[in-house]
Amino acid sequence: MDFENVKAQMRKGVLEFCILSILSKGDAYATDLLNKLKESELIVVEGTLYPLLTRQKNAGLLSYRWEESTQGPPRKYYALTDKGREVLKELEASWKGLIEAVDSIINK
Amino acid sequence: MKKTFSVNLGNKVYMIDEDAYTRLKEYLDRIEGYFSDQKEREDIINDIEMRLSELFAELLGSTGQVITLKDVEEVTRIMGDPREIGGEKEQTGQEETRTHYESRSGPRRFYRDPDNRIIGGVCGGIGSYFNIDPIIVRIILVVLFLTFGIGLLIYLILWIVVPEARTTAQKLEMRGDTVNASNIGKFVKDEFESVKKSFRRNK
Repeated sequence: MDFENVKAQMRKGVLEFCILSILSKGDAYATDLLNKLKESELIVVEGTLYPLLTRQKNAGLLSYRWEESTQGPPRKYYALTDKGREVLKELEASWKGLIEAVDSIINK
Repeated sequence: MKKTFSVNLGNKVYMIDEDAYTRLKEYLDRIEGYFSDQKEREDIINDIEMRLSELFAELLGSTGQVITLKDVEEVTRIMGDPREIGGEKEQTGQEETRTHYESRSGPRRFYRDPDNRIIGGVCGGIGSYFNIDPIIVRIILVVLFLTFGIGLLIYLILWIVVPEARTTAQKLEMRGDTVNASNIGKFVKDEFESVKKSFRRNK
């Protein structure tokens, strides 16, 4: 059994959830997201974030706009769409259910 | 003494050493190889280039030095291995065991071959598909044109209808190789070596 694989899969699912959750608190550009995700050690290498963002955007969960920056070139700011908010709600509900279920098994 | 290039990375211009450029280009090409959808690939590569640009800016500070191989290594370490970015890390174990049982080859697909073309790469693609020398295909086509006058029409239709093999994955499919991480890695490396060689020859 490949436990690294299990861990990676778990982290990936949670990561998608967390991206939506961070964006629900305010629009952000990729580096803001990276800093938050790295702080909580959810992400190890930065590159894994970008395919997720692009796929969520293509799935209609996110939108983006370009914003001028004081340092360097314009930045791509991501925002949650209405569909993204709905998906986030569902994910939050299933996350809570999952925690309760796992807790009840582990702490038996 | 080293030769340097200037590159535009995320809308910012950098000077970069030749060896560092080679490494960075190879890195980005490997990432590209994992995404077959063109729009998706462009978005992801653009985003990653923006971030790489930011990281280089932080690393170099305001002194405006040249990006060295060490800088590229540092930045790609932060960004992560192309395999992880491509999300195929979970699959490599299975792929490897599977290739033990099956042959390396997968189903062949008909693409136009941009690396082996005179006009549109149609004959090169046919050659790859049937595993014959494209020159033979070209001769047959010319003969068809001269005797029946339909060769040109066939060619034009195929040119319009058949897609060009743009990504590494498509090029592997065209040659009938299985699209997996190790094959993509090998292909990109081969391609890269050949570009490097022709580059040296032209100098």
